[in-house]
Amino acid sequence: MQTDRGAFHPTRFGDLAVTVDFHCQSACRFCIVREGMNHYRGVPLERFREIAIDNERSGRYERVIFTGGEVTLEARLFDFLAEARGRFAHVELQTNGRRLADRDFARRLREAGADELFVSLHGPSAKAQDFISQREGSFDEAVRGLENARALGYDVTSNTVMSADNVHCLSEMPELLSRLGVRRMELWGYLPMERTEQAVRLIAPLGELVPSLLRGLERAEALSLPATVKYVPRCLLERFGGALDNSQADVVIVESFWDTFPAFNCLYEARCEHSERCLGLSHAYVDKYGWGQDRLRPAARTTPWREPARGAAAPGASARRASAQGPWAALVGAVPEGTPGTLERGWLTRNQARFRYVFDGGASVELVLEARDEARPALLRTRSFNVFYTDLDARGRDAEIKALLEAAARSVERRDDGSFELDARKGLAREHVRRRLPTAR
Amino acid sequence: MIETTPSDRYFDYCLQPYEPAAPAQGKWRSESLLWHALEVAGLRGGRVETSLRRVQAHAGRDLTVWGVKHDRGRLFLELYFYDPRKEDPRVAASSVIAALEGTLRFAPSVRESIPYFMWSFDLDAETERSGRVDALHLYLAAREIQAGRSYTLRGGGAIELVNHYRFLHPQREIDELLHGIESSVFVDFERVPLSRVLLPQLFACNRICVAKKRAADGIYYSGLSIDQLRFFLERFGWPGAIRSLVERERARLDHLRYDVGIDYRMLEDGSLESTKTSFYGTL
Repeated sequence: MQTDRGAFHPTRFGDLAVTVDFHCQSACRFCIVREGMNHYRGVPLERFREIAIDNERSGRYERVIFTGGEVTLEARLFDFLAEARGRFAHVELQTNGRRLADRDFARRLREAGADELFVSLHGPSAKAQDFISQREGSFDEAVRGLENARALGYDVTSNTVMSADNVHCLSEMPELLSRLGVRRMELWGYLPMERTEQAVRLIAPLGELVPSLLRGLERAEALSLPATVKYVPRCLLERFGGALDNSQADVVIVESFWDTFPAFNCLYEARCEHSERCLGLSHAYVDKYGWGQDRLRPAARTTPWREPARGAAAPGASARRASAQGPWAALVGAVPEGTPGTLERGWLTRNQARFRYVFDGGASVELVLEARDEARPALLRTRSFNVFYTDLDARGRDAEIKALLEAAARSVERRDDGSFELDARKGLAREHVRRRLPTAR
Repeated sequence: MIETTPSDRYFDYCLQPYEPAAPAQGKWRSESLLWHALEVAGLRGGRVETSLRRVQAHAGRDLTVWGVKHDRGRLFLELYFYDPRKEDPRVAASSVIAALEGTLRFAPSVRESIPYFMWSFDLDAETERSGRVDALHLYLAAREIQAGRSYTLRGGGAIELVNHYRFLHPQREIDELLHGIESSVFVDFERVPLSRVLLPQLFACNRICVAKKRAADGIYYSGLSIDQLRFFLERFGWPGAIRSLVERERARLDHLRYDVGIDYRMLEDGSLESTKTSFYGTL
């Protein structure tokens, strides 16, 4: 999605990431938690219980992902797992895998309901991994942890953050991961959350990263190990372009987190066929290495580029371009006879249902439904919604647009039986999960 | 500080309307930033403030564009009056000059038959002291593309061309934009990365204006968010009093869109110097 700060990753609304805490026994040189998130507290257990109970009723999320920091260090992890049990189809732990070297601990987690692991491994050898994690023995522990995970029947995905410290050995990762029973691997371009010298140093130039990444993808393909890439321009992935998936789980974190989350842009957004899926380059990369205008190879568009609506919304509140199906689409009804406008598309986000109407000559308007809130202005309030319009481009067709909007709003009023749910919360967590910023920041 | 009213209108620095980026109730009008900058510049309570109030009363609320400029420690203002079709006699140069009579003395006079669509003049510490306006600027538009050139008029009829500029869509017109930036006598883009001029943090904007001036190039970003304005003020070393107000009062300013400008040129060592920066709003 596009925001005022540039593009953000799209959100997977079926997955919910819950930040448990931010402690870790490793100290990975690139760690975004260490850099920019260590002033956040984890989500309190009581808050998670509310979320889990809500999910049991609504089935909104298929998967809950416990993340941190290192979740296996969290004293109340088993309490979180108990709350999640039976309320989500899958329970995933994002971990460095080190504590899973303890077979009994790994078994107890499995028995407590965790069935998926997302294990960080950033080097194919003890030398590479321990250098990055800054903890001797971390590689050996993670390998033992992965061996235990396989024996206990976990579904394991690996995650490798591609930085200047491992760009030379990416192609060696698939062999190791395949041998350890990892089902799929993810390779994420490094995104600094801060602009310290150390953080900026870790950004690898595309000229070095891409050839190494492509060799790694070829090796993974040969081993039948599915691979996903994030935060690398799609045009540089050659025949592996389909591996790009920048989506992230919905996340329970304070809204202000997104003020510091990296943003992206590409000079060729309007020209490239892939710009709806590809984020381009992070601003930190552009600051260090430039826009890459001679390196990027935009694919010619086959469909017109539509300028994304800019807004200040966080990714969690972003427009997911899913179509508004079934009862949602029926809410607005048919365009009234004699009205020249047409419903171009409708889509559903966590916070809004939006319906875009277009008219001959380029006029357009969007009708928006948000969770009913007496305190906020609205064109009309129905049982479930505040109804209003936005992005009006009238081009002199004010009367026709007004008639169409009124008809659509009345249709929503008639068909809304009070059972439609939109999330009224801007962020799923409130400010109490945020620690006070250190004074030096 | 001046709070919004339900009748406020929202215009960018080309006097193009925009929808507020957030609900505006209980927040500040953009002129609040102007008054605060005036305070920081030591220009409150005198001739400059009187001039601004008379302009607002004469031209109407929201319809005069102001720019606050920062030139290596010096703060000053510029007021811009738009009337592309010469429909509003109140904002013609001669009309505003007449309305300010007794407060400001304009050395140049304007032949109203010149097809200008906008004019402007500066207000600074010297204006405050002397009440004299030695120069004003006329802007003439290009045909078909959103572009123009500006001339400075001085007393005695002296006129000089000072600026040639073009507005471009940052994504749709990227080739023209890159050409416009890189076609420069002031910057060698073999030595200066493009990203030092075309800043990624400001690229998500409505329009980018590329300007060619007498002693520097300029780039202007329009339709920015409050957080992009914060980035801009920090990046270009604006006075702490202005930065801290925007930081502190972010929630009262987040409904507005902002426009900023940066004049720049390369120094002999290959570094980039920002000679003057500015941000804009309406009065």
